[in-house]
Amino acid sequence: MFPELRRDVAFPVVGTLVLFALLVGGGLLYSALQDGAASDKLVTSMFIDAIMVIGIQIYIGNTGVFSFGHVGFGAIAGYTFALFAIAPAAKATRIAEAPFGLADVSTGPVTATVIAVGVTLVIAVIVGIGLARSGARSGAVAATVITLALLFVAHEVARSWVAVTGGDRAGLTFGIGDTLGSRMPIYLVLLATILVARLFAQSRSGRFAHAAREDDLAARAMGINPTVQQTVALLVSVVVVAVAASLRVYEVGSILPGLFFFNYTLLTLVMLVVGGRNSVSGALLGVAVITAARELARRLGSEGYEAFGVGLDGVPLDWIFREGLPRVVLGLAMVGFMIWRPNGLIDDWELDGWLRNRLRRADPRPTTRLEAAPKTRTELVATDVIVDFGGFRALDGADMVAASDEIVGLIGPNGAGKTTLVNVMTGMVEPSTGKVRLGEKDLTRAPSHEIARAGLVRTFQNLRLFSSLTVRENVEISWLVASRHRPASAVPGIDEIVDAAGLWEHRDRRASELDYGNSRRLELARAAALGPTFLLLDEPTSGMSDEESLEMITQVRHMASVVGAGVLVIDHDLNFITGICDRIYCLDQGAVIASGTPDEVQADAQVRAAYLGSMGPT
Amino acid sequence: MLLETTGLTTRYGSISALRDVSLSVGAGEVVGLIGPNGAGKTTLLGTVAGLLRPAAGTVRFDGADMTGKAPDRMLRAGLALVPEHRRIFVDLTVVENLKIGGITLPPAQRPALLEEMAELFPVLRDKWDTAAGYLSGGEAQQLAIARALMSKPRLLMMDEPSLGLAPVLVDVVFELISTLRDQGCTMLVVEQNANRMLEVADRAYVLRSGALVAAGTGPELLARDGLFDTFVGGTAE
Amino acid sequence: MTELIQNVIDGLGRGSIYALLALGVAVIFGVMHLLNFAHGELITVSGYAAYAAFSSGWSWFLVAPLIIVVSIVSALLIERVAFSRVRGASDFTLVLTSFGIHFLVSAVFVMYVGARVKTFSEPGWIADTYSIGPIAVEVFDTVVIAVTIVTLLATVAILQRTMFGLALRAAAEDFDTARLMGVNSDRVIRGAFALSGALAGIAGIFWLMRAGNTAPSAGIDPMLKGVLAALIGGLGSMRGAVLGGLALGVAEVVLRSQLPGEAAALTEGVVFALIALLFIFRPQGLISVAHAERV
Repeated sequence: MFPELRRDVAFPVVGTLVLFALLVGGGLLYSALQDGAASDKLVTSMFIDAIMVIGIQIYIGNTGVFSFGHVGFGAIAGYTFALFAIAPAAKATRIAEAPFGLADVSTGPVTATVIAVGVTLVIAVIVGIGLARSGARSGAVAATVITLALLFVAHEVARSWVAVTGGDRAGLTFGIGDTLGSRMPIYLVLLATILVARLFAQSRSGRFAHAAREDDLAARAMGINPTVQQTVALLVSVVVVAVAASLRVYEVGSILPGLFFFNYTLLTLVMLVVGGRNSVSGALLGVAVITAARELARRLGSEGYEAFGVGLDGVPLDWIFREGLPRVVLGLAMVGFMIWRPNGLIDDWELDGWLRNRLRRADPRPTTRLEAAPKTRTELVATDVIVDFGGFRALDGADMVAASDEIVGLIGPNGAGKTTLVNVMTGMVEPSTGKVRLGEKDLTRAPSHEIARAGLVRTFQNLRLFSSLTVRENVEISWLVASRHRPASAVPGIDEIVDAAGLWEHRDRRASELDYGNSRRLELARAAALGPTFLLLDEPTSGMSDEESLEMITQVRHMASVVGAGVLVIDHDLNFITGICDRIYCLDQGAVIASGTPDEVQADAQVRAAYLGSMGPT
Repeated sequence: MLLETTGLTTRYGSISALRDVSLSVGAGEVVGLIGPNGAGKTTLLGTVAGLLRPAAGTVRFDGADMTGKAPDRMLRAGLALVPEHRRIFVDLTVVENLKIGGITLPPAQRPALLEEMAELFPVLRDKWDTAAGYLSGGEAQQLAIARALMSKPRLLMMDEPSLGLAPVLVDVVFELISTLRDQGCTMLVVEQNANRMLEVADRAYVLRSGALVAAGTGPELLARDGLFDTFVGGTAE
Repeated sequence: MTELIQNVIDGLGRGSIYALLALGVAVIFGVMHLLNFAHGELITVSGYAAYAAFSSGWSWFLVAPLIIVVSIVSALLIERVAFSRVRGASDFTLVLTSFGIHFLVSAVFVMYVGARVKTFSEPGWIADTYSIGPIAVEVFDTVVIAVTIVTLLATVAILQRTMFGLALRAAAEDFDTARLMGVNSDRVIRGAFALSGALAGIAGIFWLMRAGNTAPSAGIDPMLKGVLAALIGGLGSMRGAVLGGLALGVAEVVLRSQLPGEAAALTEGVVFALIALLFIFRPQGLISVAHAERV
């Protein structure tokens, strides 16, 4: 579940304790300085907001899928909690007629929370299926709409189903003295929440979700099924949100439809984006900053400077310092941050990661150089593949065979169908007819992630790295997939692969910071770390100078040999292709027009014609 | 020279897609730009047209320095681009596509120009009010060219006009280039179909790995030993 | 059967207003890929302008054009101050920006005008009806439908027959190529906001007539109807937005009168749930207007 105990468990635990201590310590310090029930209340609700915001962060931060609806989950949990936790006597006045004997049930708050989590999870599963069906992706509008609909359905039901919810006016209210008396449960939940959020982000599942957040297609090509990871993140996040909502109702002492609606959505989202939605530390920073800003605005709004004992008579600021200022501040914070700092104050900076880097000694460079892995002979066969895009036939009966102990080239002019053929083989384009198999395994129309797990791994023409992850993390993602789905013998260690790719010095840099040649090397290394039977390389030298291309020959040969994979490579650079390939296929107009050794293909008249164009009708 | 680039270098992030390219096109000339996929041809046209900003070098058009000017400025100066993959507006009708092409001209000039296009492209006239998405590949390519001509360009740049067309339609496109040439239209044409391009061009440049590797008239380049090798890099020079 | 016809007619009246709102949302989505949650705020602002005008003794005849002007100016202002600075940003940023503006506008009104509802007089004829056989038709609905038809025809004329409309449609289909053809992107986006402001203004006149009041949170409802209708129709499709608006109006009225007993109160919830289901099964919208096939 956790790739490295020290990095993924030990440090997050330490980080959690520090974050918890900072937030709670800061809150307690504030209420000690302020004395008075109002500041206690403020600090308590900040702790509960922190739980809620981290709950939302677990989903949005890890998957990049934007959800409006988490507060809607909160509404469901909040009402469920209230229905079970409120004593019958307090319910009798409002919802005596409630069906299913709900007016008479009463469990303790703990049981009520458990029931609330259960009910909310059921709804979350339904929403999760919906999100998966609609193809929710990082940045897709469909997810926004579905989650928004959840928020509104929950709100409407709360308003209209008066017999159970008490409707818009009455709501559900705890009896006097029945509400949350001590902060201890909040502390426990807060501590647990920070820990869960940090551990999830470091877990296999969390890492796969990050990969899909960075690049959905590349994640699939590396054997990850993003839907599974997104659903896991959703369920974890909803559990936290449901507990937070129960605590909030318990603390407030009543629930009305407005408690979990637009205002709370805005508040929690502002808290999430101000600090940085991609990190738990950021979420907590946002909670603290916004709570402080809001309280400051409230006091300035109601009392002016005098709230702070400063008299600035004669400075006319009444037009700013008036009731309603906090909401304006929230609105301004949201718009302002979106314009000037959409990734928040600290983006994806994480306290425990920073601590670990500070305390780290130099990593030992792997001492074992990777040896060539034994090659087995498996055939990759495409038979009579036809692909139509609308009226355009991109592939017209292409046939090709490559064996895993050779390097095969695929050349042809622009538009010949080379990339389409690789797309068909890797499940990214559906063929009209034709078959693809690897060894005995039929891969025709299999989903991309299963094809990758079966050992057919590709790179992309226009680099698709997980750009905000580091070099090592990029390689680690596919290594994690390989460790579960590929035979152990085919999978060398992460550091060995990074080193073999010549990226050792760059291992802790973000992929987005690499220069072009190193980006290409990383893409190759990431694919190789999957321990594939076949590497499909789509223009590995495009954009490279002649010298770099030649160097790439060594690089590709080396990587293929250490993982024991065959190579099918598309390229335009004949120096590169003839230098590296045992055999070449030439494609034109969607069909193979020539195949053979590099020399044979280069001498072929048809190939020359395909590249230079037919002679005109003179 | 109508168009002159000196030392043009363009990068995508850290990739140098174009390195130190200097070329020129004189008024009335038809100049070809050939080379394999990924050579930087599209980048070159994009940089000249103002879609991409060069990292170094200059673009001079009709004597004026136009380096880094926005595409609509370039268009107003008289430089039109027929983009790769045509990029016609499929939801708009044929005539609406043409009107968009002439959006920078005074409205009074448009009817006459539309008439001219109808004459030059009879296939389009028959489909004047058809949504452009229903055109065949060849028709769509002609529309893309006609749309660019609607701005009365002094230099017409085309990016792979024969891409993805059946051979018989490729003939149509090259005939069209010849016709335009005979009318005195100045053109800079990116093509992969080198043989055909060299037939209709006055001169051509060969681009590979982002740099110019050869230049000359059609016969010169065709006569040269190993155009194929120069082209795809079979032998490094 | 009579009841159903009655419902449909009532629903078309309601749906016409939604259609105008949705069209405004669709126009903006087309050029900027922005799902505009701030669209309803145009009506909030117009509502307060109307309230101020009524307070100084204006009549609906003067207030109606005022609403349109205020709505257009507000739309342009919002574009200038906020949306122009996030052009081309991620969907996440765009959505949250518009969500933030939605809150900011209502918060400013709470702060300076107060949270309480401000009422003004509805026009006297708002409840008048006439009958066609057994069906009672509201004069109001008739006016709404007639004005909507005229507005839509005018919008179609702008989109189809002016160079601005042509540029707008081209930009909505392929922004980069439109720029390459010399379309001025600033002008097109501002024009799109002006158009969406005008449409919201016309819808706002009827919305405010019917409501007879305004409040800081008045924008939520029209925003939701506009956004949802645009989604039903398939985002970005202008024809879809109009049909989506009508469908939403009719669905609401029919459900409200046909759902049994208590469930009728849940109409809005049911509509939202249906829309969510729709998105799960047809993310491209109910009435996905077929694109001409790309070649």
